Amino acid sequence: MSDLTPDQSFSAQLYRLLLFCYPASFRRAYMTEMMQAFRDCYREFMHHQSRWSLLRFWQLMLGDLAISLVVEYKRVVITWLKHPLEERQIQMAMNITFAQRTDIGLKRDLNEDSMMSFLPDDARQLQEKGALFVVADGLGGHSDGELASQLAVNTVKEVYYQDDAGDRAEALRRAVLAANERIQQQNLAKSSQPSEWTMGTTCVAVVLLEDTAYVANVGDSRAYIARGDEMRQITRDHSVVADELRAGIITKEQVKDHPQRNVIYRCLGEETVEVDIFTEGVQEGDKLLLCTDGLCVLVDDDELRSIVQRYDIQESVQRLIDRANELGGPDNITAVVAQVA
Amino acid sequence: MKKPSREPVDLLPLTPAVLHIMLALVDGERHGYSIMQEVANRSGGKVRMGPGTLYGSIKRMMADGLIEESDARPDPALDDERRRYYRLTGFGQRVVRAEILRMEQIVQLARHLTVNQESMGGAL
Repeated sequence: MSDLTPDQSFSAQLYRLLLFCYPASFRRAYMTEMMQAFRDCYREFMHHQSRWSLLRFWQLMLGDLAISLVVEYKRVVITWLKHPLEERQIQMAMNITFAQRTDIGLKRDLNEDSMMSFLPDDARQLQEKGALFVVADGLGGHSDGELASQLAVNTVKEVYYQDDAGDRAEALRRAVLAANERIQQQNLAKSSQPSEWTMGTTCVAVVLLEDTAYVANVGDSRAYIARGDEMRQITRDHSVVADELRAGIITKEQVKDHPQRNVIYRCLGEETVEVDIFTEGVQEGDKLLLCTDGLCVLVDDDELRSIVQRYDIQESVQRLIDRANELGGPDNITAVVAQVA
Repeated sequence: MKKPSREPVDLLPLTPAVLHIMLALVDGERHGYSIMQEVANRSGGKVRMGPGTLYGSIKRMMADGLIEESDARPDPALDDERRRYYRLTGFGQRVVRAEILRMEQIVQLARHLTVNQESMGGAL
């Protein structure tokens, strides 16, 4: 924030400290947004420039803090009382299972996709930072694409688990930005022209922590959530065809033959990149699918849904890959399915 | 990790905070502070919601499937990319309609009773 006055800076610091009174899970999910709302509110109150503005502002904030703290802790206590001890321990241990598979496809000489699923062995780390799943689809000549996608998944994991900030969504964003920077540095080191671009990668990353999935996305790899009979795409593709489809310029049927179907306008490896962040509530039984476009361009959403719902996770990933290959396998194919049980 | 209730009436009555947030989202998606402003404006400044109440309610509304996060950025140029936008789900729209219907029925009953009372008072 560039327009912080000393008063505002002090008030914001004080409020940030007060936010530590909230239960950790609440803080992790909403701290950044609450700070932003606090700053917006502060500006609104100070705009009136009355001598009582600051007093009235803090009256609202402290009143809100007191009431919402009681509500949040009441919820925590009720949840604890409702669940028998064994169930609570299982819940705290986060029962997550996953399966992952990547395949070169039928037409390519190299597999430039990379994937990573990580469930920390350390129970405390799992409880604080959750499980991480990353899928990346590398772009570039020779083995550069492969290098870029590997660099992306490794960097996201390394940086995410080193980040101790409370807000998990922000930690995930920073991890993806760090991956962008590393790939860009490789690009700069390799090319004689600073503007010459040699490699890049898409990146979709999901953190599963307690009852929330934090999702970061750059490019056209995807994350879906399946619950009951429904499956929904969480991420938004940064591709020309996805934008045209959303705007109603083309139909779903026209996507496969579109001359620019492979063109994406955001990827890691650029000088600056904007990372989309989504948060999703997750429930027992939910499944998450992460995949590269080698799968989701060929196999439509209905079929993805029916495979993921019908089979266990191991069989799902195998069947997803097989289905993409049956349809020609023109690209590398990667699928990761995680289940919250 | 509870399964959401799929019948709108199971979630009624809504708390005042939840109802205010849902009404603020009836005409489109908004980010947190925009919801706070809308609630204050619509109530003529009488209802002021702080960040704790707002995000506590948002968390539970997301878990109940009443609202969802939207990926759209209405004005990307002016907007901070870290802001999250929320919108009503189809289920949320059904719940808010059911709540309004419930309140209407109470108001009707209250009117009916007070009118009867008055007419009885007049007769005496």
